[in-house]
Amino acid sequence: MNILSLVPVEWKKIRRSKIFFILVLATVILWIPSILNADFNFGMQAEGISPENNFFIQGFMAMAWFIFPATMVVITVLQNQTERSNHGILKMLALPVSTAKLCMAKFIVLVSFSAIQFLMSIGMYYVSAMIAGSMQNYNFMLPPFFIFKEVGMMWASAIPMLAFFWLLAVCIQTPIFSIGIGLTSVVPSVLMINTKVWFAYPMAYPFFVITSEYGKLATNLEMDQVELIPWLPVAALITVVCLMISCIRFGQAERR
Amino acid sequence: MSFVLELRKVKRTGFLPAFLSGGILAAAVPALNMAFRSEMYVGMNAAPVNILLDANWQMMSMLNILLVVAGACILYNTEYADNAIQRMCTLPTKESTMFFGKTAVLITVSILLLMIEAVSVFGCSIHWFEESADLYMETLKNFGFFLMLMLPTILFSLVIASVSKNMWISLGIGVVCVFVATMIPSQNFVLTLFPFALPFLTLESHTADVIRNYTVAGAVETVLIALLEVMILKVRRSFE
Repeated sequence: MNILSLVPVEWKKIRRSKIFFILVLATVILWIPSILNADFNFGMQAEGISPENNFFIQGFMAMAWFIFPATMVVITVLQNQTERSNHGILKMLALPVSTAKLCMAKFIVLVSFSAIQFLMSIGMYYVSAMIAGSMQNYNFMLPPFFIFKEVGMMWASAIPMLAFFWLLAVCIQTPIFSIGIGLTSVVPSVLMINTKVWFAYPMAYPFFVITSEYGKLATNLEMDQVELIPWLPVAALITVVCLMISCIRFGQAERR
Repeated sequence: MSFVLELRKVKRTGFLPAFLSGGILAAAVPALNMAFRSEMYVGMNAAPVNILLDANWQMMSMLNILLVVAGACILYNTEYADNAIQRMCTLPTKESTMFFGKTAVLITVSILLLMIEAVSVFGCSIHWFEESADLYMETLKNFGFFLMLMLPTILFSLVIASVSKNMWISLGIGVVCVFVATMIPSQNFVLTLFPFALPFLTLESHTADVIRNYTVAGAVETVLIALLEVMILKVRRSFE
């Protein structure tokens, strides 16, 4: 079986998981304060950012710093638990399918979930921009091209982080450790984006991308800008190493 | 009895090591903060404990809450994973006894967690600030208050964990609740009564009257959540 036919199989497994309910809940809750506090966007003269830009940036900053990485950890738990309950993984390992491909198919599902969450956030962004706009009599909507470009960059920068979470989920058999390390590693990203070595910490990437965009849009605010040179090679290296180790380790604990 | 039993159940889940290492991680926050930029804090005109908590408590309490949420999920996952809960239900004990046994376990490890952090805050105060006579009392008072406000969080996360059979749903709801708590403005009394928002509060951030209200509210919430869980269990049992 090739990887293209394995991915739909993995998708089907989590069909009844109710994970979408949690994703929707997270996305809706994310935008409620933005709607309620929409008038704050007009008081940003000190930063020099326009209300519509501020509305967009604040919402996605809240998403990138905690709720997005945390829901991704939850999805790795979901993927692991559905296989482990009733020993489903043992049956999968008995099939003539290479474990590395199986592991990659699951990772692709994880990556597509992150894309879905970003798409849902864009949808909710437009809904809440509409509501806030009619409340404040101001047009908060930004052109879709700009939004998709920014969010696309955030999504791409999240892939090394996802690879790291996937490594945790595959290699650490005790669930409390993989969950605990995943969730606690999210918390220091606020500190990491202000240091010189932010590019060595994949959990901070999406947050860094959005804060640097904030610095660009706000004329009076200096934020560190994205420098591709140490970042891209390091990010690629982290992704490749994490995925390689997880492909090698996948299913080893069960095959003992 | 139930407490000892619940403690035995978590023996091989890595529950205790997780809380120990989480406590050490949270304890490292003020130490690292002081080691790297002590000049920002040393000159400030306030009690050392308050300076330290003001600078670091947000991050430390965030770590605490995440650990409590993950811990609660694991406590119930051991029951749900291989349908062990069905066997528990056939025993001549109440389901709520199990819940309160798990609560006792989670409270005990949370006290351990807070103790590690208190030692760290105390040590940082002695190392970087001048020693003052009431440092012991200050530290004790603050962490007593933290424990008081952590009780509703502990119970509420256990309620969430007990409701769903699937760990990802309880973990997902827990994570969303933590996220809601981070967005609640700390000066709004009614909104901060949300169980997950309480542990972010510090003694210094409010006047004595408000603090008293919070302590009472925390105790009331703890009792209410416990009653809620007993009701949930009763209703669920009658529908199974």
